[in-house]
Parts: sequence; structure tokens; C-alpha cells
Amino acid sequence: MATVGTPPGGPGQPGAPNAPAQQRAVPTEEAMLGKAMDLALLRRLWPFVRPHAKLLLAWACFMPLTILLDLGQPLLFWYALTHHMLATPTHIEMLPYDALAYMLLVVGQGASSFCETWFVQLTGQRTMHSLRTTIFDHVLAQRAAFFDTIPVGRLMTRMTNDIESLNEIFAQGAITLVADLLKAFAIVCVLLAIDVRLTGITFLTLPLLVILVEYARRLMRESFRQIRVRLAAMNAFAQEHLSGIKVVQLLGRAATAQREYNNINAGHRDAYLPQIRADASMYALVEAIGTISIAVAIAYAAGFRTSTVAMLGVVVVFIEYIKKFFAPLPDLSAKYAVMQGAMAASERIFQLLDTKEWDGKEAAVDPAVTRQGSDATLGGASAIAVELAGVTFSYGAEPVLRGIDLRVPRGQTVAIVGATGSGKSTVIKLLTRLYERDSGSVRLGGVEIRDLPLATLRERITVVSQDVILFAGTLAENIALGKQYTEAQLDSAVRRVGLDRALARRGTGSTALTVEVTERGSNFSAGERQLVAFARALLRDPEVLILDEATAHVDPEAEALIERGVAELMKGRTTLVIAHRLSTIRNADLIVVMDKGRVVEQGTHDQLVTHGGFYAALERTFRRQDAEPAAATAEPERAPGPPTA
Amino acid sequence: MSRTLSSIGYLKPYRVPLAWGVLMLLLTNACYLGVPEMMGRAVDSLGKTSTHHVLVLVGWMAGFAVATAITRIASRIWIFNAARAAEYDLRSHLFGHMMTMSPAYYGKHPVGDVMSRLTNDVQTVRALWGFGTVSLANAILAFISVLGIMIWHAPMVTVLAILPFPLIYVVGQAMSKRIYGTMRRVQGELGTLSSRIQEDLGAIQVIKTYGLEDVRRAGFITGSDRLLHANMDAAKVRIQLGPSLNALAALAFALLILFGGRAVIHGEMTKGELIAFSGYVARLVWPTLTLGFLLALVQRGRASWTRLVQLFETQPDIAEGTGPALPASAQPARVEVKHLTYRIGDHPILDDITLTLEPGTITAVVGRTGSGKSTLVDALCRLIDIPAGSIFVDGVDITTMPLASLRAQIGYAPQEAFLFSTTIADNIAMGYGGGTAIPTARQRELESVLGSSAASDLREEPKVTAASVSAGLARDLGVMPDGLGTIVGERGITLSGGQRQRVALARALAAAPRLLVLDDSLSSVDAETERLILRNLRAVMHGRTAVLISHRVAAIKDADQIIVLDHGAVVARGTHAALLAEGGVYQALYASQLDSEVTATRNPGGVH
Repeated sequence: MATVGTPPGGPGQPGAPNAPAQQRAVPTEEAMLGKAMDLALLRRLWPFVRPHAKLLLAWACFMPLTILLDLGQPLLFWYALTHHMLATPTHIEMLPYDALAYMLLVVGQGASSFCETWFVQLTGQRTMHSLRTTIFDHVLAQRAAFFDTIPVGRLMTRMTNDIESLNEIFAQGAITLVADLLKAFAIVCVLLAIDVRLTGITFLTLPLLVILVEYARRLMRESFRQIRVRLAAMNAFAQEHLSGIKVVQLLGRAATAQREYNNINAGHRDAYLPQIRADASMYALVEAIGTISIAVAIAYAAGFRTSTVAMLGVVVVFIEYIKKFFAPLPDLSAKYAVMQGAMAASERIFQLLDTKEWDGKEAAVDPAVTRQGSDATLGGASAIAVELAGVTFSYGAEPVLRGIDLRVPRGQTVAIVGATGSGKSTVIKLLTRLYERDSGSVRLGGVEIRDLPLATLRERITVVSQDVILFAGTLAENIALGKQYTEAQLDSAVRRVGLDRALARRGTGSTALTVEVTERGSNFSAGERQLVAFARALLRDPEVLILDEATAHVDPEAEALIERGVAELMKGRTTLVIAHRLSTIRNADLIVVMDKGRVVEQGTHDQLVTHGGFYAALERTFRRQDAEPAAATAEPERAPGPPTA
Repeated sequence: MSRTLSSIGYLKPYRVPLAWGVLMLLLTNACYLGVPEMMGRAVDSLGKTSTHHVLVLVGWMAGFAVATAITRIASRIWIFNAARAAEYDLRSHLFGHMMTMSPAYYGKHPVGDVMSRLTNDVQTVRALWGFGTVSLANAILAFISVLGIMIWHAPMVTVLAILPFPLIYVVGQAMSKRIYGTMRRVQGELGTLSSRIQEDLGAIQVIKTYGLEDVRRAGFITGSDRLLHANMDAAKVRIQLGPSLNALAALAFALLILFGGRAVIHGEMTKGELIAFSGYVARLVWPTLTLGFLLALVQRGRASWTRLVQLFETQPDIAEGTGPALPASAQPARVEVKHLTYRIGDHPILDDITLTLEPGTITAVVGRTGSGKSTLVDALCRLIDIPAGSIFVDGVDITTMPLASLRAQIGYAPQEAFLFSTTIADNIAMGYGGGTAIPTARQRELESVLGSSAASDLREEPKVTAASVSAGLARDLGVMPDGLGTIVGERGITLSGGQRQRVALARALAAAPRLLVLDDSLSSVDAETERLILRNLRAVMHGRTAVLISHRVAAIKDADQIIVLDHGAVVARGTHAALLAEGGVYQALYASQLDSEVTATRNPGGVH
């Protein structure tokens, strides 16, 4: 029933400080207006094209061939006209050969142009594939904090829509422009070779053409931007109002919304009007100018006093070439707009590629280096599995951890308890280096974690978090998570955590492993997800297990399964657990109580109860049957909104 | 709704410009004939008659060319503008219709689907109106005029030269279908890849901690590769079109050279006529091709139109009340719920609920998640369809009053605060019907269209400032650079959950409603602030009837009556003290809540 969506900004970013300057006068992405040709950007694009340079070379071979075969056609027509049709005597018997030769030229040109376009498209697609993969790798190599500041949607746009618009450089932008220019140049050369003066007269109309193209370009440039801005505004408005329909109706805003929508819709409609005008004018006027050029050529030929046949041939050839010269022009302004879009897209893409907040190192270092690293000191022998000393951390200016000391002896279970926002989850994130601490040291088996390769560190520590993320695919894939296990291993893990029993309730039969997980795991309940996470961790068999116990309420049956699964997972394993269940806490070898980013108490259950501090109060309420005294001593409140997820 | 029968209804208001457009097309085709005709005659006269005669013909040729261009520009502008105008009507009409559908409708129909119809399908229909009209009219006119004049000149050569044209039509039709099919595949692959990226970015912490980069990368590359191939398949079809078309047109020219050339040699045709014919044949290529495209366009347009009609035919599931509106009043409302039962399928969500909210009292509703609290509130606002005679406001059955009249009585602050991406002040002012949902950043971009009307400044508006203070926003606004003028969401400041809830609360308060409904609307607010707000609210609620849904005992303890819901039924009611003494569900709820909150108790105020 909850149809009220979150506004486009999404839920509050955890503690991400909002730079106040950011909200003002930043043009929307749609409003960005690129240059149509930005050499600096093209130069940056080149490394992605270079591996496919052979394809580009093939294009470069076919392109002149296409032009050659194209321009041969009027010459053939000229020849047939002057040597066969109008010659004395006429050669009627040669006409079928002329027609055949003409057809051959056309088919040849078609084949060559097909290859030409094919190669350029393939270059484009392969380049975009490389670029897309580079962006993907680049994004995945950024540290976790990077994702707190950039909306997911924006990153998605870079890898999909922006790439598609950039590809237009190949599909119909700069590259085809080169071919068009070469062809125009070739036509002028041929015409000059035939008759210099006639060529000069014919192209008297060129200034008109230049004015027209420039006019359309200006019209298009502004119109292109306006259309993007207004279309985006209109869709955002509709999306927001449909998502928030409940609020719209409760506020009785339907009529107001309709009025505002009509305004934006009208703006959208009107933004197209200059484009319609430019489009219509471009096609019609280029055609008219072409015809006028032909008219000028004929008028000039009328002054000839040479042989009629020769003159006629020249005129016909000119007519055909002029048509070919003018043919690509109407598309010019559209190509210009496309190039603009492509350049704006590439600018956004390279901006992203310039952001270097690498995961695993504070300094900007190539992620590959971090990944390989040295496997030198693994230090598996230390009796202390995990040790934090004087660790501090803050999100922006907000301190979250104010000096944490914590030791997890090998083979033992340490439970962290504390209110929401006390910094428990942050400790986990620092341990796996999702976030980098500000000061202090963190050691795994006696070795500073910054000296371990990132991959090794994360191999040795497995985190089971509250929110279990499932991927679309089979259950087996979701448990194996990219590692190779035998089916027996998978099956055993599923059974040991009780996932088979949980799934049996939906009648999956004997093989739970083949159960399909839908996108984002929407067909799995909170309890089932927990069990999947347990199975994952069990298979990885990590040196240190970190467990963030789920607070989500599940039905009693699932609760029992989870409890059993946790017990199985923790058996004989070094475990750091953020605990919410009394049973887990009680069974821990050591309990650490955190408050406001500090460790305020630690000890065993009995020690802490005797101590009579935070933990004693917490424990009392867990056990309390009688609510009355609590109401008398304390007004219940909830902790403030969590600064950490 | 007569308009749903055919999309043509939307073009009716624009029949005058459309008629002008078609008339211009007629002139275009007439003028266009003059160009090859004059060219042919001019070429024939070369060297035969005086230079002057040639110049006159050439002048006519240029004149016809200019006239063609002008009429063509006019026709396109008229017709395409009309199509855009009709598109505007269709889209506005559709948006208005969708605004009347209940939240329940959007629970079943994803917003994305409706959005897709509002954008893509409307565009497809518009393309049919604009491009379709121009192409069809143009093709018919071109065939009549060009074929007419060709036959008049040389019937036999005409028939032979246009032999390949049926093929052009067939190629156009087939290509259009294939292009559309491959394009859809590209869109599909792009969509798959997007969901994959979204999945990966949402799971970034798991990917990092589990070292899944290489696995996910492999999957991404597969997806990207599939997109590459889909794109290449689409390109393959697209780039076949030009050469095939060229070849067929060339076939027509070859036939023209062959038979036309023979006719010239035999003196049945002048050489000028041959040149004119080459112009005529070229003239027919494009209309024939678009005619082929048109058929596919019509099919697509019809499919889109069907999808739009489906939306239009869905009637709002909550019927507008037909009775009179409630008279305006400043007195607190009296609400009675009588034997209210609401089911989804066989499952009762609300089970025979009877209760009375006396004017000026505070009623708290508590219960577990899923006990029906929010549904009860939805029923009160008629966001769900309830049976007649089950809820009365001031003695009037709410199903008989206009929805707007009912909702004007109620100020509602939901748990999931929905804010529009505009300023905080605008969001609050929406409570009393003010404000605008068009964000300021957009406004600046749109101001050429919207004029200055939208740029109202609500930051000084007393109703807005008072409500923001009552909702406990003053301190937060103080640290925001623009205070009430701060833009929320997209490109603005991202508010915390608690801040969003308080803005929504301020919005509810700004309405100065007779009935205030707070649906767990302070759940994300920290304890200290909540206490402050509740203290303020007691003053604000004076003189109003209020319904309070909350999980927190502190929030509901002082209510005049507390209703305990379980499985959709009222299981207990009374004051806090009475219910605690009674034991049962309320006490259990109370006790369980204390568990999770006690650590915070030791730490009032918490970290902020």
C-alpha cells in the first residue's frame, strides 16, 4: 500500500556533508552545451580507438572507393549521352551495355559503402565497449565513500546513455563528415577539370548556402539544448507527481499540478518549433539552391558557341554532380546537434574518469597495484586475531569514532553492543577498509591491514551484514559468489545453515540450489536472506567472521532457523559480532559496550552485570517482565537518526 | 469518451492549419513539376533558339524551385506544429487523467510503465500524426502529379521506367520492420545492462568486501558485448537500406537510359524530356519509400494508441462524492467510524471498526506493523474505497462529499514523507494550496516559458514560517544557507529522514486543518527534537481533532483515548493508565518497545 516513493534525491546520505555551494547555480546536466568539436576530448578518446585502428584503416580504404564509384556514375551517363545517344551516327546497340555498366557502378558503390559503414560502426561499437568496461572498472575501484556522494542513477547514465550518444561520433558524426567533405572536394575537382569557368559560375550560390547552414546551425544549437532541458523537466515533473500521487491527492493538488504540467508541456512543445522551422527550411532551401545552381549552369551554357552535343553533355554532368554535392547538406545541422551531444557526453565521461578516489589507498594509486601488492607478511600466528588501537574516524566534520581500542583473541567471540549511532557499524567498515580511518592502527593477526593487499584482507575477513544483497541468478551462484565449489560443498553449506528447510516451506523440492533469485532478491524474505548470507560465509571459511546481527523482525519459525544457523557459523571461529540478541551477547567471550564513538565498558556478561553500568541497564530491560518500573525511571526514547547505515 | 475511439479526434481542433498544410503540399507538388519540365525544355532549346529564350526558361526553373521550397517549408511547419499541438493536448489530458487514479492503482501499475506511455507512446502517436500526414499526402500527390505528367509525355517509357517502384515499396516496408525490431533489441539489451549496473552499484559494499570485482566484471562484459552485437545487427540492417534503395532507383534510371535513350534516338522523345524524366523518376523514389515506412508507422502508432486508450478507459477506483461540500468551519471536526470493514480479497485489513473522535480530542492508534493502522487513516482520507455509511465527518457520510472537500478538512503527515524537489517553503505552502512543484533551478531554465509568475517568494509567508517553527524545523533551517528557500532533493540539499518528516509535518500544520492526522510521522526524528515538537504540537492541536499513530509511548501517553489495533480489529481502547492496568497487547507492545530503546534512555539527546 505504500505508494509514496522517495523524492528523486533519494534517502538521506549517511553523514555525507552537503557542500552548500553545490546547490546554487549548477546547470542541470541537460543544460550543458558542448562544443561540436573539441580536439582535447577527441585526443582523450583516441587511446580507446587505437586498439581498433585496423578497422578504421579498412574504413579508410573503402571510403574513397565508394566516392569513386559514386562519382563515376554521372561520367558514364555523360559518355552514353555524347557518344551513343547523341553522336552521329547513334549507337543504339550500345545502350544495354551502358545500362549494365551503370548498374554495376551502383551495385559496386552500394557494396563498398556497406563495407565502409560496417567498419566504422564496428570501430565505434568496439571503442564504446572498451570505454564502457573502463568506466565500469574505474567506478568499481573507487572507495566506498565515493558512492555516498554520487547518485547511482548518474553513474548508470555514464555507462549507458552517455556512451550511446558518444557513439554517434562514429554512427553519424565526425567520421561521416570526413567522407562528406572528401566527396564534396572530389566533386569540385572533377567539375574544375571539365570546365573551370562553368564551375565558378555554378558555385556562385555557395555564399547563400553558407548563410543558410550557419543560420540553421544557430537555430539548432539553442533548440537542441532547450528541448533537452524541457523534456527532462517535463518527465521529472510527471515522474514526481505519479510517485507522490498520494500526497498530490491529499493536498488536493491535482488541479494545480495539471496547470503546472501544462506550462512545462507547453514549453516542451514550443521548444520544438524552431527545430521544425530549421529542419523544414534546411531541406527545402538546400534543394532550391541546388536547382538554382543547375539553372545558372544551363544559362551559362546557353552562351556557348561550341558543339551542341559537347555542351549538352557538360550541362548534364554538371546537373548530376550538383545534385550529389548538395545531397548531404540538409543533414548537416542535425549532425551538428548530434556531435554536440556526443561531445557533452564525452566531457561527462572523462570527468568521471578523472575522479580518482581509489579504494584501498589514500593516495591516488592505480588500483591494479593495490590488488597485487605483496603477499609477504600474512602473520597468521598471532594470538590476537584483530586489534584496533586508538582508532578515530569522522564523516566530514562529524566525529563517529573517537578513539577505539578493541582486541579479538583468536578463536573467541567478541560482541559489540550499543545504541544506533554509537559507531558499531563503522568499526566493521574500517576493518575491511571500505572506509579509511583517520588515525590509530588496525591489525589483523598482528599485521597492519594497510600492509596487506586489499584482496587478501577481504579474503581473510568475511562480513555478514544486516542487509543481505542478493544478485539475480540461481541460489547456487548467490552462495558461491564467483568462487568454485563442488555441488556437494554447496549442498552441505545450505543444509548446515538450515536454508534447505527454510526454502522447503515454499516447496522447492530436493535441490534448493537451483532456486532462481529474482532481481535484488525480491523473492527472498528477510529471514531467508540471512540464511543465504550464513551459507556464503560458511563456504568461504574465513579467518575472522564479522557478523552484523539483523534487527529485522521475522516470524518465530524463521527466527529459530536463524539462531541455529548463526550457531553453526560461529562454531570455533574468531567472531566479532554486532549483537542485538541476548543469547548471542551472553554466549560471547567478551562484551564491548560502545557509546558515542567510544568503548565505555568491556568484560564478560557477569562482570558487566556486576559493574552496574550501561550494560547492566540494557540487560535488565531484556529480562524485564514488569514494565511499570521502567516507565517510572526512564522516559523511553529512540536514539537519533543513524549517521552510519 | 469519444476521443478514445480514434486518435484522429485530437487533430480535430487543428483541422484548419492541417488543411493549410495539405493545400501547401498540393502547391509544392504542382510547383515541383515545373522544375524538371523547365529544365528539360531549357536543355532542348540550348543552341537552337535564342539565348534569351533559354534564360526565360531557366528563370522559370529557378522560380519554380523557390516556390517549391516556400510551399514545402510552409506545409511542414503547419502540419508538424499541428501535430505538436495535438501531442500537447493528448499528454496534458493523459496526465490529468492519471492524477485522478488512486494510490492503490499505482500499487498495481508501476510508475515506470505509466511514464513510458506518457513519453514513448505519446511520441509514437505524434509521429504518426505529423510524419504520417505529410508522407501520406505527399506520396499521393506526388504519384498523381508526376505519373500524370510522365504519361502525358511518353506513356511507354513511363511504364517501363517505374517497373522497379513496387520493389522500393516492399523494401521500405520490410526494412522498416527490421529496423524497428533490431532497435527494440538494442533497447532491451541496454535495459538489461542498466539493471545490471544498478544491481552492482547498489551492492558495492558486498562486491568490495567479498572481492567480487572480477565476477561482476565478467558479467558486465558479457552484457556490454551483447549490446555491441545488438547494435551491430541494427547497424547492419540500417546500412543496407541506403545501398538497396540506391540500387533500385538506379535500376529505374538504367531502364530509363535503355528505353528512354532508344526513344530519343528514334525521335519519340527529346533529349530534354529524357533529362526531365530522370528528375521525375528521382522524385518518386522518396514518396514510395516513405509509403513503405508509413505502414509500419501506422501499426506502431496503433499499438501505442491502444496502450493509451487502456489508460483512458481505466476509471478512477474512488468515486467522487456527489453530495454538497462541507460548509466552511473553523471548529474541530467530529469523526465517527461505524462498523468499518475493508478487505483485500478475503483477507480483512480492517475488521468491523467502530470509534468516535470527539471534537478537539487526541486519539492515538497503536498496533504492530500490519495491524491496519495506516489503512484506517487511508480510509479516513478516502485513499481506499470504503463502503458507504462507515465514516462520518460532522455527521456527513464521507463517501457523499466531494473528495476535495473531505481532504481540505484534513492535514496529514505520513511516515514516509514525500517532498517535491522544490524549496522547503514551497513544500510547506502546498499544505494550504500554495507553492509550486517546479523546482527553482528548473524555473530559471524555464522562465522564458513560464514568465515570472512561478518565482513567488514564500520565505516570508507567516503561515509557512509558523508551521516550520511548530514542526521543530527552526534549528535545522538556521544552518541551511538558504533557510526556507533551500531546495530539496535533486540538485538540492538532501535532507535526513527526520528533517523530511518534519517538513511534511509543517505542511500538514500549514493547512490549519480541522482534523490533523500524524501517521507515525516522527519516527525518524531524534528523541529530543520529538519531545520539543510534541510540546509545540499540544498548543497547535488545541482546537483541532487529532489522530496520532505512533510506536512511541512518549508520543501517545497523553492522548485522550488510545485505540489498540491487532489484525485489523480494535482489541482495546482507553487511556494509557487504564490500558497498562488492563495488560494484554498494549502492555506487551509497551514492554517490547522499552527493550530497544533503553540504551538511548541512558543517553538522552544522543549524537547529533
